Amino acid sequence: MARVAIDPITRIEGHLRVEIEVDSGVVKDAWVSGGLYRGMETVLQGRAPADAFYIAQRICGVCPISHGHASTMGSEAALGIKIPNNARIVRNIIEGAEFLHSHVLWFYTLTALDYVDVVSALSANIADTYALAEKAGTTTADFGAIQKRLAGFVKGGQLSIFTNGYWGHPAMKLPAELNLIAVAHYLEALQIQAQAAEIIAIMGGKFPHFMTSIPGGTSWVASEQRLADVLFRWQGVSDFITNTMIPDTLAIAPFYLEAAGYGKGVGNFLAWGVFDDVSMDPKKRVMPRGALTGLTPFDPKPEEVTEFIKHSWYDSGDNLNPAKGETKADFTTYDLNGKYSWVKAPRLNGKPMEVGPLARMLVAYVDGVAPVKALVDGALGALSKAAGKKLPPTVLVSLLGRVAARNLEAKVIADAMGGWIGEMVAAVKGGDSKYFVEATQSDGQGAGLWEAPRGALGHWVNVSGGKIANYQVVTPSTWDCSPRDDAGVRGPMEEALVGTPIADPTKPLEALRIVHSFDP
Amino acid sequence: MAQEVRGEFYDLLAARGVTRRDFMKFCGSVAAVIGLSEVYAPQIASAIAAGTLQPALWLAHGLCTGCTESMAQIGVPDVPTIVLDLLSVNYWETVMAAAGTQAEDNITATVDKGGYIVIVEGSVMTGQGGNVLRIAGKPGVDELKEVCSKAKAVIAVGSCAVDGGWVAGDPNPAKATGVQAYLAQNGIKTPVVNLPTCPVNPEWVVSVLVDYLLVGALPPLNEFNEPKSLYSETIHDNCPRRGHFENGEFVQFGSADQTAQEAAGFCLYQMGCKGPQTKTTCPLVRWNRRVSWCVESGSPCIGCGTADPLKGGPGNWVDAGTPFLSRLADTRLPGIGGVQPSTIGAVVGGVAAAGLVVHGVVSASKGRIKGVPQESEKKFDSKNKSSEGGDK
Ligand code: SF4
Ligand code: SF4
Repeated sequence: MARVAIDPITRIEGHLRVEIEVDSGVVKDAWVSGGLYRGMETVLQGRAPADAFYIAQRICGVCPISHGHASTMGSEAALGIKIPNNARIVRNIIEGAEFLHSHVLWFYTLTALDYVDVVSALSANIADTYALAEKAGTTTADFGAIQKRLAGFVKGGQLSIFTNGYWGHPAMKLPAELNLIAVAHYLEALQIQAQAAEIIAIMGGKFPHFMTSIPGGTSWVASEQRLADVLFRWQGVSDFITNTMIPDTLAIAPFYLEAAGYGKGVGNFLAWGVFDDVSMDPKKRVMPRGALTGLTPFDPKPEEVTEFIKHSWYDSGDNLNPAKGETKADFTTYDLNGKYSWVKAPRLNGKPMEVGPLARMLVAYVDGVAPVKALVDGALGALSKAAGKKLPPTVLVSLLGRVAARNLEAKVIADAMGGWIGEMVAAVKGGDSKYFVEATQSDGQGAGLWEAPRGALGHWVNVSGGKIANYQVVTPSTWDCSPRDDAGVRGPMEEALVGTPIADPTKPLEALRIVHSFDP
Repeated sequence: MAQEVRGEFYDLLAARGVTRRDFMKFCGSVAAVIGLSEVYAPQIASAIAAGTLQPALWLAHGLCTGCTESMAQIGVPDVPTIVLDLLSVNYWETVMAAAGTQAEDNITATVDKGGYIVIVEGSVMTGQGGNVLRIAGKPGVDELKEVCSKAKAVIAVGSCAVDGGWVAGDPNPAKATGVQAYLAQNGIKTPVVNLPTCPVNPEWVVSVLVDYLLVGALPPLNEFNEPKSLYSETIHDNCPRRGHFENGEFVQFGSADQTAQEAAGFCLYQMGCKGPQTKTTCPLVRWNRRVSWCVESGSPCIGCGTADPLKGGPGNWVDAGTPFLSRLADTRLPGIGGVQPSTIGAVVGGVAAAGLVVHGVVSASKGRIKGVPQESEKKFDSKNKSSEGGDK
């Protein structure tokens, strides 16, 4: 038995600690501890609903758009505001740009270094690298120049952000040529994520932290020129996802097929849904609302969400619905049998729920959403070929599936986004000039139930006399990085870590893969 | 006037796989960032030709990771250039390969060697005995004190690190504060540079870094330890909508004409714009590879660059600016005093002339590189020619 603590977990948003118990090379138990409490819910009390839009998005600098939208939707629900159609389309485009930005950044910048051995790329044969890229159907780059730059860098001896990485680790399986291709695309992805973010800057002022989706609609006004600027950037990002990111995923996956055998997690999935169509019905969103136990669907009811705090550093009511939630910080000590995290333990009808792209894609797949079904079935076909046997959809409930789901979802959203830009162009040409409506009431209670790239997100807002009387947020990482609940049941990430093989407990690379697969 | 760059430096670059041409291109882009013409690339080249990379540690405290995200949105020099060719960033949680023990070892090794600079992102978290932020099993402030006390300089990036930012918003439940105030309270004398806005603008960070690499010292600072070159003029001074402000043409939210007013690029003052009292270069440097900025996209400035690092908490931009969409009762406008918004259109005509000539923005770093001539005063109009404001 070896007890291993990974703290800090790097390449994530925020502060996380993971402790695992390793026996005979396999994780037997795991604890996930959130390390930061800032008190957003308390800071928002007594302020105007529009202020909450600007402030609450600062919960997360990687998904501020989703928080901003959930906040605004919560205030709109509380105040009975129905936004104009133009505002719906504008918000979809901004939200979509954030999803693409986030998914590209996650795959290439945050998790790639768990699978790609940068140092091994030095021994790649350049001609073979081009041949491999062609065979994999992915884009090429000046592989020779990139390898030379890398060689000079390594020879210089100052490895900067690559210092002390897991180079040469036995769990690194890619051939040198594929490593070099991935390094080239690691660099290119940095440009692509910035291009996606420029769409947000055009329509929202800047990214991260945007300015325009205030309660009532949007303060941005479209013009044909501005939409052309958006279209051009969407095309670049969309091309990269289709011609580089998806082929890269399918080229790398066959070397890590064993990752289909662990990292399953709790097996319950929740999606509030994201990207409204004209009906504004959450079940008709591009990624629809829904929940699953295994692959059996059911309707998630917001009033069945409660948060437990037995293992979290709070001294407030236990098992409360967020509409009546409380947050009172109370650090005691770090004790895995007692309290060990700043994250609360949310449950739906008492059960831990995994949220994120895997949850959304499975909900949409079971729901029969056509583009999702086509992509998932296509990917399963390709993986079945690599595995030499037919793989059923349940194989997706794994580390491999969680990684693949995110990249496939990027393709679904990139395609849908082309449609929204078209809708906006039509609205401008048709002369629809309504972007904003004012609130007519100053009291009420509501929830903005939406999705961040990393999963289901809820902002519960209670407004009284035009000011916020109570505010509660349940983020995707609250769901996924949850500690044990009062019944001692592990959270989704804790559960997914159990059963993971660990080749070298002093370098627990495989555990990092599980953690990163949730994109916390 | 250009000093010859030492020959051995190019050998060194060649060993790193960088050609002479690449390097000069890089220096040109750096020049652009700190407001110099590319003609000065040789000076920059010779200043950077020290051989080894400046070690740096990027610390993550009470953060949302938005400032790191913002760094990833820079155009020139791009991210790989910054982290591979300009600095050796031995610790940067969000992007580094190592984790856990291996990551911690990178801090220890760099601190032991000395000669490093520190960049802090996020608020200093002092609540609950410092346990509102735990890193490597200890209060985060322990790491902050240890690492900053031995550093050559500290750059506080983003409003959170500068004075606690929104996290210090009333009632400041996690007892957040800023780096400068916290280090001072703990008797740590390492110099601190403050770069407020939420998030930080990446071009400002690079300009401070390059300035430091060039002259081995921090740029000239104002009384808030902010670089004078970046935080001396108000947004209102340089705003492309300023003409409409002077004509009394305002966007009115909820009115029937709102969309037409916004399409015409009217002034956002009546929506609560904090441009008149916020001192940053947002209208000039803009955001996200300079494609736009808040006011251009139709939003009033919410004053996220307002900070009070000396007090570290109570002066945070959220408490200073909320309710964001309401006009402040007593907005001080240059030369006008507390004017009521309804009469502003009439009054401002008289002071328009004063506002038009903006104090010559000579990047402070310019005067500090030998052989670079100072630029003379610039007119408001000529400075804004290239920016695509909303008032086309
Ligand atoms: S939009 Fe704001 S900064 Fe620009 S002129 Fe109007 S008040 Fe000044
Ligand atoms: S314009 Fe104002 S709100 Fe926008 S980034 Fe600059 S200081 Fe912050």
